[in-house]
Amino acid sequence: MSNAVQTVDREQLRDTIAEVVDVDRAAVADHTDLVTDLGVDSLMALEVVVVLEKKYQVKFTEDEMRAVTTLHGAHELLVAKTAGR
Amino acid sequence: MIGRTTPVLEPPVVDRAPEALADRWVAATSTRITGEEIVFAGHYPDFPIFPGVCVVDCAIGGALAAPPPDAAPLTLAAVDSARFVGAVYPGDTLDVTLEWRRREDSWRCQAVASTERGKAASVRLRFREASC
Amino acid sequence: MLISPAGVRAALPHRYPMLLVDRVTEIVPGERLTAYKAVTLNEPWYQRLGPVVDDAELAYPPVLLIESWGQAAGLLAQYDHPEPEALRTNVMVVGGISGAVFHRPVLPGELLEHDVRLVRALTDTMIFEGECRSGGEVVFEVERVTMAYRPAGMLREQPVAH
Repeated sequence: MSNAVQTVDREQLRDTIAEVVDVDRAAVADHTDLVTDLGVDSLMALEVVVVLEKKYQVKFTEDEMRAVTTLHGAHELLVAKTAGR
Repeated sequence: MIGRTTPVLEPPVVDRAPEALADRWVAATSTRITGEEIVFAGHYPDFPIFPGVCVVDCAIGGALAAPPPDAAPLTLAAVDSARFVGAVYPGDTLDVTLEWRRREDSWRCQAVASTERGKAASVRLRFREASC
Repeated sequence: MLISPAGVRAALPHRYPMLLVDRVTEIVPGERLTAYKAVTLNEPWYQRLGPVVDDAELAYPPVLLIESWGQAAGLLAQYDHPEPEALRTNVMVVGGISGAVFHRPVLPGELLEHDVRLVRALTDTMIFEGECRSGGEVVFEVERVTMAYRPAGMLREQPVAH
């Protein structure tokens, strides 16, 4: 897992999410809801999580993926998933 | 603009020539999507729907028809992203707003294509400048 | 050869001039696929060019490289659950494309080899990545294409992503 990002840096996560969702990083506050606040459709929300899976070399269950709708939620899940390593 | 082979017959119309605004150029073009577009025959038989990539092509055509005045001839390098949110049907007019920004080595164009029913797609394009 | 031209035509709802995959030569269901598309001077898009053109004007439309590759991805997507009457029940809708990079123009006479890999499959959504080679050289690559199965009816009444 050498190339996986070890620590889950919140600011880096903000950049990644903003990039995939196609908004300015300032628009992605910790508790901004991608769907209700940024109007992200279900397809794009899933895309965010798939990008994170690839970047942090982790695997989410579909339920976990569908539950992530904020930066905070993504950070929590990633910390939990990478804690095992 | 040299001839560009494109799947869309109707050329873009420049509705608003490029205008400098702070750090970017803004412009607007539109393309009428008539029933005569040849893509409809195969996309799909008895269920004509304008292909998403053709919406992207209208953004590219619009961008090339309304480039930043100080840009050298441009070549498409990438479709950095395209988001399809609304379908486009024969008879629609696609209005495309364009925002050009200079990056170190390329020109980036953020385009939003809409029909009268609302947004059809948002597209981020990247162009290389011909080194004259 | 794995899926013949007739097989491709049966699997995809696309027809002339938008059926842009000719055959599939390799498939690992749920993982990856290799498909071919030949580009010729008789592509319908060249019909309207002027009497004299230079090669630059004969560059195959970049957006159709995306579409052709996307149709190959569509074949991988539905290989596990074939929908012969695709349009009757549901249809593959492209939701988004990211990082589609064009390395050089593609000209008539080239044989395009599309390589498609399935990154993630969810109940109704699939995400793909891959590239297109000509003569062994990568001419186009795409970082991510998101496709979703949507009931065809939905497309008819109110517009939805296509």
